Amino acid sequence: MLAPQSPRAADAVPLVEAEDVAKSYGGAHALKGVSLSIAAGEVHGLVGANGAGKSTLIRILAGLTRPDRGEIRVEGVPVDIATPHRATELGMSFIHQELAFIPGMTVLQNIMLGIPKASRFGMVDWRAAAREVAPIAARVGITAPLSASVKGLSTAENWLINICRALVRKARLIVMDEPTASLSASESEKLFAIVEDLSASGVAVLYVSHRLDEIQSLCDRVTVFRDGRSVARLSRAQITRPALVEAIVGGAVEHLPPAARHPATGDVVLEVDGLVRLPKVKGVTFALRRGEVLGLGGLVGAGRTEVARLLFGADRLDAGAMRLEGRPYAPRSPTAAVKAGLGLVPEERRADGLVLSKSVAFNLQLSNLARIVRSPALPLIDYRRREALSLKTVRDLAIKTAGIETPVGRLSGGNQQKVVIGRWLLRAPKVLILDEPTRGVDIGARGEIHKLIRALAAEGMAVIVVSSEPDELPDLCDRVLVMAEGRIVRELSGEAVSRNAIVEASYAEAAPPAERSFA
Amino acid sequence: MTEAVAGNRRLTPEAKLYLGLFARYATIIGLVAMIAVFSLLSPRAFPTLGNFTNVLNQASLAMIIAGGLTLAVVVGELDLSIGFAASLHGVLVTGLIVANKLPIPVAIAIVIALGALIGLVNGIIVTKVRVNSVIATLGVGTILTGLAFAYSAGVPIVAGVPEAFLQVSLGRWLFGIPNNIVIMAVVLGGLWVLVERTSLGQEIQAVGGNPAAARLAGIDVGRIKTLGFVVSGMCAALTGVLLASRLGSGTTSAADSYLLTAFAAVFLGSATLRDGEFHVLGTLVGALIIAFGFNGLNIFGAPTFSQYVFQGAILIVAVGLSSLGRAVAES
Repeated sequence: MLAPQSPRAADAVPLVEAEDVAKSYGGAHALKGVSLSIAAGEVHGLVGANGAGKSTLIRILAGLTRPDRGEIRVEGVPVDIATPHRATELGMSFIHQELAFIPGMTVLQNIMLGIPKASRFGMVDWRAAAREVAPIAARVGITAPLSASVKGLSTAENWLINICRALVRKARLIVMDEPTASLSASESEKLFAIVEDLSASGVAVLYVSHRLDEIQSLCDRVTVFRDGRSVARLSRAQITRPALVEAIVGGAVEHLPPAARHPATGDVVLEVDGLVRLPKVKGVTFALRRGEVLGLGGLVGAGRTEVARLLFGADRLDAGAMRLEGRPYAPRSPTAAVKAGLGLVPEERRADGLVLSKSVAFNLQLSNLARIVRSPALPLIDYRRREALSLKTVRDLAIKTAGIETPVGRLSGGNQQKVVIGRWLLRAPKVLILDEPTRGVDIGARGEIHKLIRALAAEGMAVIVVSSEPDELPDLCDRVLVMAEGRIVRELSGEAVSRNAIVEASYAEAAPPAERSFA
Repeated sequence: MTEAVAGNRRLTPEAKLYLGLFARYATIIGLVAMIAVFSLLSPRAFPTLGNFTNVLNQASLAMIIAGGLTLAVVVGELDLSIGFAASLHGVLVTGLIVANKLPIPVAIAIVIALGALIGLVNGIIVTKVRVNSVIATLGVGTILTGLAFAYSAGVPIVAGVPEAFLQVSLGRWLFGIPNNIVIMAVVLGGLWVLVERTSLGQEIQAVGGNPAAARLAGIDVGRIKTLGFVVSGMCAALTGVLLASRLGSGTTSAADSYLLTAFAAVFLGSATLRDGEFHVLGTLVGALIIAFGFNGLNIFGAPTFSQYVFQGAILIVAVGLSSLGRAVAES
């Protein structure tokens, strides 16, 4: 299945090579044997489903963990990357999804962190440092002054600062992990230009992403991981979406037919009238029916997540009213919302959805505790019931886990998400809100999660899906409300629900077109 | 730490497994080893039923206060008021009995209710006013010390303490087992069931594990954290009562030093069986290590200062080992 190497890579010793690298944690094989070869100055894509082993290889290259087997070579010389410091010495630089800065320091201080600096009279010569950094900062397009504090800078600027830091350290390979996950479209465009510029100047980029269109347009070559093995290496001409998807999934993808959209006919469960919470929500009115999957679309910053927070009692209303099954509903806290019959699958599942150190069963039963105790008066847990219910959920949702007592932190992203959804399944809320239900989830699990959401609606649950992925809402929803500037600007239902209609509505009504986009 | 271990040599999976096991069982191994060594060195004085009962009896008070503290740390907070609170409760219960002539059970009930109230105040300051728990409980503890001095004018209440009150701590109920041990066993057993076997316990562990996720799962995080402080406050009150009964007097500052012992036991416990998680059983093991260590040092006539050195050193060694082992397991 391995494609012949492109001529560009074959004519020189590769910059960084990994050969048959394997790594297991406890009994689990994270890497069963992967090989990767990155030429100087190329943009090399690394793709694979969650759990395929991408992060493990990156951790090995970064000196954060040691391989059990295999060899890493830099310019043909075998190396032992024992520490992150050694990785830096070898010219490798890593930019992670969670960017780490010291908030009290300036841009310049953060860039120079850990880099030997010139000194004058025993004190750091910041002027000399600034002279060294300034041209590089200009090249990557940092607009903030070097003396500014990093506090309050955007994610995009943080990325630029990190790239600048890598270049000051004379990095020859920059590893970018899901770089556009939190960037807007225009910010992403800027990043792509920088990646191409880096490549042209001889700096190689290892580009790790779930976003196949980016991989297609940016990468010279792509390596695909699946289940801890490198299963394909595609050269420029071979990088097509079907080829990538097939290699990632390892078989045909189950395509969910676009939602057979029903005009919802069930009873109204939730009525929302003139919700206001400034500055983000400026008047939102809608009704949600039993058995309906309602999408909330729009650009990042349009106010969708804020609406979800209001519904769930996480924030207070400035104005407006809600009714749940005809009765006034004014939750003072998430606790009250859950009691009233709502459930939320939050956007940040690791931070807000799960207790990572605890078991699958623990996390599944967290909102269902009242139903697994022996009696309300003596709330001792009935472990047989807990086990039976947990096993049933694991089976029903096809959660891939060694057992129900496995810590949930060891599961892949998609399976973690299923645990959060499974928790609400057990409780059967009247209204389930899912915020970005498939972000960072691989293609296979995404289809399964979509099917699951539709099944819940079919059983009569009312579902609200908030999503920034343009394709997700048409796949999933009976009806889509498009938000812009804190208001609902368009309602799409039936045939009118399409990716293009959502995007068009999001942009059409949004006032100044400055810094707003999908993603 | 990952670098220090994994960086210098490659660890085989077996080595990692054993290091991980060692980290989890190091405290228990240490306890057993300590008992074995003391028994070998002093076969006549140390390994006797009488001495073991004595050690447990002595350690019961520390175990109760540490058990309460465990609840506070499980929900992710610290309670520094417990030592000072226990001192106040000791003075107060003696005063209520001696000066106010209250029946002993009533006096004890009042003091334990007050302990719950102090916990409630701690909880409200931390969860509603959002003061960091270290500061909040240090402030409350200092105020309590002031109240104890105000109540007793700094003079120990000794005269007129009835024999019946002394018997609360010194008496023996079942099969001649000292009351302290029975009370400790009931309290720690109850706490263990609460945390490990009830739905409330699951919520307590969830709040400690990830408060944001617990909140969005519908758990009232503020209520659970406050509960942790209330339990901690009640256990501190009970310890204060038992100490006053054992000493036969209400003395300001008498229980202050239990703060350090309780923290040492709780953190030693977090290095036991579970990687860095606080739990009641661990606290029990931690308190036993400290108790047997002190006892051994006493038997060999080691000077008093060595007890402090022992307590500090064993804490650092045990917690250090545990985090080292965890780093190995994760590498």
